Amino acid sequence: MQKSDLLKKLQEIVGDEHVSASAAELYCYSCDASQIRGMPDFVIRPASTEQISKIVRLANENEIPVTARGAGTGLAGGAVPVEGGIVLDMSSMNRILETDLDNLQVTIEPGIVQEKMNEALEPYGLFFPPDPGSSAMCTLGGLIANNGSGMRSVKYGTTRNYVLGLEVVLADGTVINTGSKASKSVAGYSLTDLFVGSEGTLGIITKATLRLRALPKERSVLLASFEDPELAGQAVVKVLSSGIVPSACEILDRNIIDAINTYDPHVGLPQAGAILMFEVDGTENTVREGIEMIKDACSTLATSIRAASDKKERDEIWAARRLVGAAVSRLDPLRTRVYVGEDIGVPIKELPGMLHKVREISEEFKIPIMTYGHIGDGNLHTGMCIDMLSDAEWEKLNMAADKIHRTAIGIGGTVTAEHGVGSARAPYLGLELGKALDVMILIKNALDPKGILNPGKMGV
Amino acid sequence: MNDEDMRSILKCVRCGTCRAVCPVFDVNGWESSGSRGRMLVAHGISQGLEVDQGVLDSINTCTTCGLCEEICPSGASPVKVIENIRHQLVLQGKMTDAQKLIRADALEKGNPLGESQDRMAWLGDSRNDLPEKSDYVFFAGCLASYRYPEITKKTFDILRKFGVTVLEEEVCCGSPLLRTGSDPSELMSKNLEQIKKIGAHTVITGCAGCYTTLKNDFPEELNVLHVTEFLADRLAELDLKKLDLKVTYHDPCHLGRCNGVFDAPRQLIKAVCYLEEMKSNREKSKCCGAGGGVLKGYPELSLELSKNRLEEIPKDVDYLVTACPLCRTNLKRGNPKVDVLDVIDLLEMAME
Repeated sequence: MQKSDLLKKLQEIVGDEHVSASAAELYCYSCDASQIRGMPDFVIRPASTEQISKIVRLANENEIPVTARGAGTGLAGGAVPVEGGIVLDMSSMNRILETDLDNLQVTIEPGIVQEKMNEALEPYGLFFPPDPGSSAMCTLGGLIANNGSGMRSVKYGTTRNYVLGLEVVLADGTVINTGSKASKSVAGYSLTDLFVGSEGTLGIITKATLRLRALPKERSVLLASFEDPELAGQAVVKVLSSGIVPSACEILDRNIIDAINTYDPHVGLPQAGAILMFEVDGTENTVREGIEMIKDACSTLATSIRAASDKKERDEIWAARRLVGAAVSRLDPLRTRVYVGEDIGVPIKELPGMLHKVREISEEFKIPIMTYGHIGDGNLHTGMCIDMLSDAEWEKLNMAADKIHRTAIGIGGTVTAEHGVGSARAPYLGLELGKALDVMILIKNALDPKGILNPGKMGV
Repeated sequence: MNDEDMRSILKCVRCGTCRAVCPVFDVNGWESSGSRGRMLVAHGISQGLEVDQGVLDSINTCTTCGLCEEICPSGASPVKVIENIRHQLVLQGKMTDAQKLIRADALEKGNPLGESQDRMAWLGDSRNDLPEKSDYVFFAGCLASYRYPEITKKTFDILRKFGVTVLEEEVCCGSPLLRTGSDPSELMSKNLEQIKKIGAHTVITGCAGCYTTLKNDFPEELNVLHVTEFLADRLAELDLKKLDLKVTYHDPCHLGRCNGVFDAPRQLIKAVCYLEEMKSNREKSKCCGAGGGVLKGYPELSLELSKNRLEEIPKDVDYLVTACPLCRTNLKRGNPKVDVLDVIDLLEMAME
């Protein structure tokens, strides 16, 4: 089909003003926050499942790629149309369809922003716990499609733990519903779990029913300083094995501490080789007890321990921590944070060793590597900043990232704990998954035989 | 594209934090209408992206409010990039009709409103009675002179008690040209010559756009005060009585966020009545939607921005007060449930 004919048909489905083929728009939708690029032919902002079903059916008949996109905050190219075709910008479908207070559930459209949904739930004393750094702008659809998580996953788990059911448009335009409103169901294969984290390669999520939690009554934050990240890693192992489940457990190395203090001088984090930020939530008693237990567990390893004095300080610390991934760019006017090799996960016991390896890789390639992340669940973010105009630095960066990925896999870890595979990490899936990748390919071929759904992603 | 701009574009890691705050993106929803998108489009232009209407709309719908810059974690400077890229496009003749009109009117008539009337008519009888030399000069600005002559007169009547004079042949400060990519140096020179002739060491203005332009963009460094700063320093001499009113205050972006003038207007308001803040305020204030040439170039968009800002007015206030005639104009366009006043209106009520 000619492009102009296709445009006409798409306009008939969604209306002229909701489809764009302008050069500016296509350019803007050709990337996310990763280094992956791909120019779409059309960007569409659909308003309903019915429209999406029609679009996907049309695309399938004409073998045109369809890539769903939330807020485009991804770090692996998951929403980048690497083979062109149609980008579905889902952000207009942003309604809360039903708040079911008695069942602690909410049914939403995928374009709703995480923070906006939680703001709407707050008056009812409820919240959706997965809390990525990008919560102010990322959409629930993106979170579900990537099984995102963030700072509170050490206690609350990942998005997967909160998805009860999905409405999904399949590659041929068929609309299915997965899961159940019942909190337990073993009726059939867990298709909900299959679509969560499938990055738009198996279907387009158009609706989701989510499980909610009651907002904790109390929160408290503790900062423990260490001489180096390895000692902090040992402290994490000790804390978690003592039976406490903090609601967050974050590591910040020296450079990250500097970056936070530069971004928001109010925060005034102590100078240290590494800081662990613990948060404990619950009732007044459980919070007090948890904080004391963490203090005890860290006492022989930490150089100092202090609690955030009040809610204001606690909020400032978290707000700055949220944005630190990008804020490291502020440390040097000529350098910019590049997200590659930034999301490894390793078994908790291997943490101190992995931190040591990261330092060795940094020395080997003579490139500073900052470490931060959700160390409580073994998820380390490694941050590298380079002069974007230097080819030599790009080469070093990619070599260091490759070694970080291979090292993580080598010790039983993963190349991506929460940011997703996309195109950026697809080349490592064979190494990490072995024959399991063949099963993924079988599933992909069964559900999307023409390969129109987000092609070029996840190694399938 | 100059090195500094390219560096600034490269500082953007495309994290999308600005999606949460860009008021234009909030209305339009397309990626090209937000700061991240504009940075990408600016990058695209440097790489040969063809400049069509879509590109022009992306680049020219920014109000230059600077909220994205305020919260940008990676330290990019989108406003500067946008203004510079507008300038480069204008040099190549690539601009919207509104940009052409603003430039032609400002350069030919001395104001971007297209007015040919006597600019200083607001002075009335006072014009025969002005000191030729003074340490302080009041720069009224185009909008205040032509659209708000009464409040401008009131402002000057208060200021002249402190020995302040005005420019004999004031012309546009150049802000509308600067923000929309044209060269304002001719206008700046005309004003600068007169400021020197008067011998003033300080320029006082009641317009946020004039304020930031006089302060940050003039070829020679000027000591610039907003009317509210000048008067807040002389509060004791104003003889103000208390009013039984509750008001809220809109921070003009180019006065507050861009130049840090938050306290002086609040000080004056609190001296005469009760102030309740808008939902977003001070550094995080939402834009009224008029700046950066958006009111002229994209009036419908500008109206939507105004309505969104008006939704942040607290319940049960008597007035929405601001300190910029452009903000006032656009906030009024949004049909607010309460009247919009300048800080000076409020002070005048307290002086009666």
